[in-house]
Amino acid sequence: MGAVLAKDADHPATGAAAKELLCSSAEITTGDENAQAIVHVLTCGSVDDGKSTLIGRLLWDVADLPEDTRASVAETLLPDGRIDLSRLVDGLAAERAQGITIDIAWRYVDAGARRYVIIDSPGHEQYTRNMATGASHADVAIMLVDARHGVKPQTRRHAAILGLLGVRRVILAVNKMDLVGGNEARFREIEADFRSLTARFAFEEAAAIPVVATTGDNVARSSSTMTWYEGPTLIEQLNRTPPRGSVEAASFRMPVQLVVRRPPDFRGLAGTVTSGSIAVGQTVIDTTSGRRAAVRRIATMDGDLEAAHCGQAVVLQLDADLDIARGAILATPDDPAIRTKRLDARLVWMSETPFDLQRRLFLRSATDLVPVSSVRVSARLDLETLTEIEASDCVHNDVVLAAITLRRPVALDRFADHKGTGALVLVDALTGATVAGGTAVALHEAAGQEEVGFRLTTAMLAEGVCAGVEPTSAEFRRRAIALLKVLKAAGVDAALEANDEEMNGAYLQPSAHPG
Amino acid sequence: MSMTKPISRLDVLEAESIHIFREAAAQFRKPVLLYSIGKDSTVLLHLARKAFFPQRIPFPLLHIDTTWKFRDMIAFRDRTARDLGLDLIVHVNEAGRAQGINPIDYAPSLYTDVMKTEGLRQALDRHGFDAAFGGARRDEEASRAKERVFSFRTAEHRWDPRHQRPEMWNLLNGRLGTGESARVFPLSNWTEGDVWRYVLREKLDVVPLYLAAIRPTIERNGMLLVLDDDRMRLAEGEKIVPRRVRFRTLGCWPLTAAIESEAADLLSVVTETLAARTSERQGRLIDHDQAGAMEKKKQEGYF
Ligand SMILES: Nc1nc2c(ncn2[C@@H]2O[C@H](COP(=O)(O)OP(=O)(O)OP(=O)(O)O)[C@@H](O)[C@H]2O)c(=O)[nH]1
Ligand SMILES: [Mg+2]
Repeated sequence: MGAVLAKDADHPATGAAAKELLCSSAEITTGDENAQAIVHVLTCGSVDDGKSTLIGRLLWDVADLPEDTRASVAETLLPDGRIDLSRLVDGLAAERAQGITIDIAWRYVDAGARRYVIIDSPGHEQYTRNMATGASHADVAIMLVDARHGVKPQTRRHAAILGLLGVRRVILAVNKMDLVGGNEARFREIEADFRSLTARFAFEEAAAIPVVATTGDNVARSSSTMTWYEGPTLIEQLNRTPPRGSVEAASFRMPVQLVVRRPPDFRGLAGTVTSGSIAVGQTVIDTTSGRRAAVRRIATMDGDLEAAHCGQAVVLQLDADLDIARGAILATPDDPAIRTKRLDARLVWMSETPFDLQRRLFLRSATDLVPVSSVRVSARLDLETLTEIEASDCVHNDVVLAAITLRRPVALDRFADHKGTGALVLVDALTGATVAGGTAVALHEAAGQEEVGFRLTTAMLAEGVCAGVEPTSAEFRRRAIALLKVLKAAGVDAALEANDEEMNGAYLQPSAHPG
Repeated sequence: MSMTKPISRLDVLEAESIHIFREAAAQFRKPVLLYSIGKDSTVLLHLARKAFFPQRIPFPLLHIDTTWKFRDMIAFRDRTARDLGLDLIVHVNEAGRAQGINPIDYAPSLYTDVMKTEGLRQALDRHGFDAAFGGARRDEEASRAKERVFSFRTAEHRWDPRHQRPEMWNLLNGRLGTGESARVFPLSNWTEGDVWRYVLREKLDVVPLYLAAIRPTIERNGMLLVLDDDRMRLAEGEKIVPRRVRFRTLGCWPLTAAIESEAADLLSVVTETLAARTSERQGRLIDHDQAGAMEKKKQEGYF
């Protein structure tokens, strides 16, 4: 056992030398660029084009893989005697048995000051939802194409999903060049095809690289056979990819996740800043209620902050006790989020059951969960022509444009303006399944303040059915939900003022899940 | 008030974990934090405290005690719970204990099934928890690398890796179908190195077994086992030898291998970990039972 650890002599594990090693190898001590030095890389493309093999090759050649991991991968060889590199990412028994990827794999590779989070997605059409899951996290995508087969419908579908989810950096890797004799003309032909996708989905002009995943040509080292190619290797291209752009400059947004309290009188709004920043003394506005207050304290366990920046998880204490709760989006008054009951969204339909008007759905925004009153599909992306054609329904894996109407207003942004508060998913009210995911493209501002017929405030409850019960307690909740159910059963369009999604959605809970 | 700190990679990971804790606390009816006393649990607990500060952690901790944990672990657990005023539930599978299921006379997989997996199912069912936080990381193992942050289980606590819910951006959908419950993994995107660097940065206390010291050991199947009490029977030719060892991962003492090391303080441990040439799972006997062992265990309800 001990033999695998370096001996003392060549491994000074104490004092200054160790500290230096620690700092240089990863603990990041200098400024902001370090936070951005996490780059999420997605693979995508049609089934069997070699995505997992390519990532396996990349890990094998450049990552600090543990010896036991290498040994266990080398145990099983392919029929032709090569190591099956895809096993480094295809970790499920079913994947290994079937030789395909089913769900995304997450791998973490440190290269200098940069961390690559590599997300390997499945090409099989049936698992497009998993590719979409991966794509929502990607900063850059490697789009693979098998040199023999060229761009396929599934390649276009993946391109469309990247476009929909706002992934703009895409590297084309034309793989299996060994099977077309390293032919340049074939590579150029596929490259030209790909450029039409680039234009259609507004990808930034990116590299196209001819690779052989199995041998590593142009992956971590230049190919010695495809000498006509003079561009960067895949690794070089990834290293050139600028890290995620900071949204520090954009206007402030903080979706409220929950209220934290500490007796006797601390009440703070907990959330992660999704864009911009906020400082103590600045005024914030809650879009849903239109109320304003100034930030009195920014609390964290490590001490109070003067300001909270994009990406930080904080608790804001305001100088007025507004009844703001989960679901609210705090912004600055000069550029608030939008309060809407009607929106247009671009969606990828991920449910295996086709779109159904009767299905009861919720819209999940950054931190809100709102009952949907209707979803109307208006157009569907045609994968051959890449145009949106008129449609009124959709099935598994379709990319569609839809008009969504909600039962009560929600705070949202256009995805193009604010990624963090413009993304949404649709949730099946009965099974809890995530049936679609997408982005808000147009928001129709809700008029007036309140469309819900009757609002039950915490104060009303405390004077009434919940008298004498601690407002944060489970009993308070239980009584509030019971009252809400009675009101709703009597046909009153009621909701709790405290924006408690579970309480407001209580009447839709399956009976096995007591409220 | 402190000045604005520069944002580092650990800050990014910390903020993401806090976000996950808050989402789960807001969405699930009755969550619990699975506390297994190791370094990941230590970090998990620290992050939970940060997530709800200045409020107390709004859910209890649960430890599944197999009755074969190192004594140092149990002492550390009880001290942590006392010092932080935590609501700690300790659960033992009493049926398993009565049957005398132990890791010495029974196959490691059977023992783990009964004392850990079955024990966990019992505790979750008994208390009606609908979500359990765990310290698992995607970098630990190939099937973990596939798991969602909110990972759903059937009424029988089974994981179905072929039908995981999509999980886009950081929009975590915690709505449960009938009978379902969730496992929540706030450390999904942390690596082993990140965990140690964070322990160091935040000056967290860890079980002393992580630091090298002279301990009574035997060598068995190429692994070094530390004898924690007198329940182990020595085989022919096995000798108790004092060695300077530490652990990379902690579990039940007859099933967890130590490594020889001089790293007696945290900084040295972190340095050694970052330079290690083997994976941390190497030290867990149970994982070598069979290929795909972890996935199989998870399908049966293991965390
Ligand atoms: N000759 C040759 N074969 C390759 C190359 N890259 C991958 N393959 C083979 O192509 C097959 C599919 O490879 P995978 O890596 O599993 O493909 P994938 O794109 O990950 O497949 P899915 O994830 O299921 O969509 C395997 O048999 C690989 O060995 C290559 O560059 N040259
Ligand atoms: Mg694959």
